[in-house]
Amino acid sequence: MHNEWSDAGQMFPGNDLMWLALVILGGTLTAALIALVVVLARLQEAERKISEKESNHESILDRLQENEYRLRTIIESEPECVKLQAEDGTVLEINPAGLRLVDANQPADIIGRKIYTVVAPEYIDIYRENMRRVFAGEAMVYEFRAITLKNRIAWMETHAAPLRDARGNIYALLGITRDITEHKQSEEQARRHQTELARVARLSTMGEMATGIAHELNQPLSAIANFARGCIRRLRSGDMSPEDLAEPLEEVCEQAERAGEILRHVRDFVRKSELQLRPVDVNQIVRSVVKFTDHEARQHRTMVRLHLGADLPKVQADSIMIEQVICNLVRNACEAMVEADSPRREVSIHTRGFGNDEVEIEIGDTGPGIDGTVIDQVFDQFFTTKPDGVGMGLSISRSIVESHGGRVRAESGGSGGTVVRFTLKTGGQPERNRERADSIHS
Amino acid sequence: MNEPTVFIVDDDQAVARSLRWLIESVRLKVETFSSAQAFIDGYDAGKPGCLVLDVRMPGMSGLDLQERLAAQRIHVPIIFITGHGDVQMAVRAVQAGAFDFVEKPFNDQDLLDRIQKAIALDADQRGKEALRVQLRSLFAGLTPREREVLDLVVEGLSNKAIANSLGLSAKTVEVHRAKVMDKMQARSVSDLVKLSIQNQAG
Ligand SMILES: Nc1ncnc2c1ncn2[C@@H]1O[C@H](COP(=O)(O)OP(=O)(O)O)[C@@H](O)[C@H]1O
Ligand SMILES: [Mg+2]
Repeated sequence: MHNEWSDAGQMFPGNDLMWLALVILGGTLTAALIALVVVLARLQEAERKISEKESNHESILDRLQENEYRLRTIIESEPECVKLQAEDGTVLEINPAGLRLVDANQPADIIGRKIYTVVAPEYIDIYRENMRRVFAGEAMVYEFRAITLKNRIAWMETHAAPLRDARGNIYALLGITRDITEHKQSEEQARRHQTELARVARLSTMGEMATGIAHELNQPLSAIANFARGCIRRLRSGDMSPEDLAEPLEEVCEQAERAGEILRHVRDFVRKSELQLRPVDVNQIVRSVVKFTDHEARQHRTMVRLHLGADLPKVQADSIMIEQVICNLVRNACEAMVEADSPRREVSIHTRGFGNDEVEIEIGDTGPGIDGTVIDQVFDQFFTTKPDGVGMGLSISRSIVESHGGRVRAESGGSGGTVVRFTLKTGGQPERNRERADSIHS
Repeated sequence: MNEPTVFIVDDDQAVARSLRWLIESVRLKVETFSSAQAFIDGYDAGKPGCLVLDVRMPGMSGLDLQERLAAQRIHVPIIFITGHGDVQMAVRAVQAGAFDFVEKPFNDQDLLDRIQKAIALDADQRGKEALRVQLRSLFAGLTPREREVLDLVVEGLSNKAIANSLGLSAKTVEVHRAKVMDKMQARSVSDLVKLSIQNQAG
């Protein structure tokens, strides 16, 4: 919204009206048009004065009328909308191209009415401000969203210049307007595509990171398994005395430490990777996650129900990271229900205010729940009950939530199923930044 | 016969040591190398056994090494160790003639079974190769005339027919024939036929 407003507010103040208009309008045709219109206006003015004076110079009058007629013909046939507006926004004159632009059937549909009838509500204020500046003497180019007389929504770009009478008083705004909807749409599309790409790039970085971790961890884990298996085999075949165990066990310990080191790196990465904290709408994050997990959920005959709290305050968060968390939780819920072959498969996501300064997000499912004996371990790295699980999903999720200054908890629901809740802070500094600030002082 | 050796090539020293520890538990001889290049430099192709090779290594990868060995006509059976999600690499390796692969983390029994099979295959290949070499040297010991006599004997011709066809006396053919049987260490005509077929096959 802010961007659009500032676009519309692009202004080009000028001193010498005619020359600036020429520079700004660029196209010689448009410039010529303005010149013609200005001349026309002068002629009208002259005509008025002349008749005021009740001059008898009939021949001069004839010539003026002839000129005026010629100018009118040019303007009438001009393919772009040309219009004159009074200071209060009343449309004084408009050419046929202009009528078409606002979907008017006849001049009376728009002439005499306020231009604001075709300006989208959110642009009326800025439009007024632009008009004020033109009547203060500035030539300007501005964009706005229009709603035509037939309720068609279109983007418009207007080149506007003040019109002065012989005494130099500004009495009208001359506007040349064209429809830039198509241009705007492709611009918008490109922008959306950009943000989408950025998001995919960040998400796939997380994915790559997970694969990288899996590769890294495979090394010490394989080594540990080999050392241990080698010991067992020797013990079974009586090939080994207890003293011989010391060396391979030493190796096992070393490799376990190596695995731990890799994990510390991962946690540091999650912690340190630049969190892009912004005030974000939790409900919007939930919706976008659901959008891109929807396909997967549907494949597993799973319903995703949203119970999003109204009027939630914004939270300070990195939306990509939080998407990642919700995505992990929804995926776990789906996987649990598929694995247990639950007859009813439903994921419900609640959002609600929590305490004074937090929002709580809850992901519940109708799956098998989590066994009481392991519920304390599900957030541990590598804890998994799945044959091809990695056991990093909840661990990474917890790191992310905690780096935002929030907490996460998992419960086995009373009526079966699992409920995972986490909180996010609504304002102020998250813990991570506070820690940093502290360490700078110490 | 020479005791088989399991050659391990893995850039991760801890993994290489652990593999050695595991494989030695079934009393196999092990040699480890920390890179493909180190293996090329230190490998004695005369030693029987098999190669356990990490697919992913900095510098020359496992697949590169496989290619190099094939180019040098070294046919030691290779068992690749692949990481999580390296299925495509494994497929490529097997298509290029690898004996087999195991995916990390692997079951120890799986790996040891494959190693045993690879060693057996290598022994078989080496046995056949030795036989070929031996046959070739036996045939190389015959004079051109003896070669001619042998070919006709194998075709089932009688001494008289051979004598006729070569323009020799039956007595001379008889002498050549005895010489051939002796040089080829054959006790019967059927032995000669077998050796001759094997030689042609090899
Ligand atoms: N919604 C759920 N229902 C039942 N069990 C769950 C649920 N979410 C997580 N778990 C348990 O927690 C374990 C760890 O989850 P996670 O860290 O995401 O790793 P992974 O999904 O790779 O197993 C899972 O293997 C599963 O046993
Ligand atoms: Mg998971």
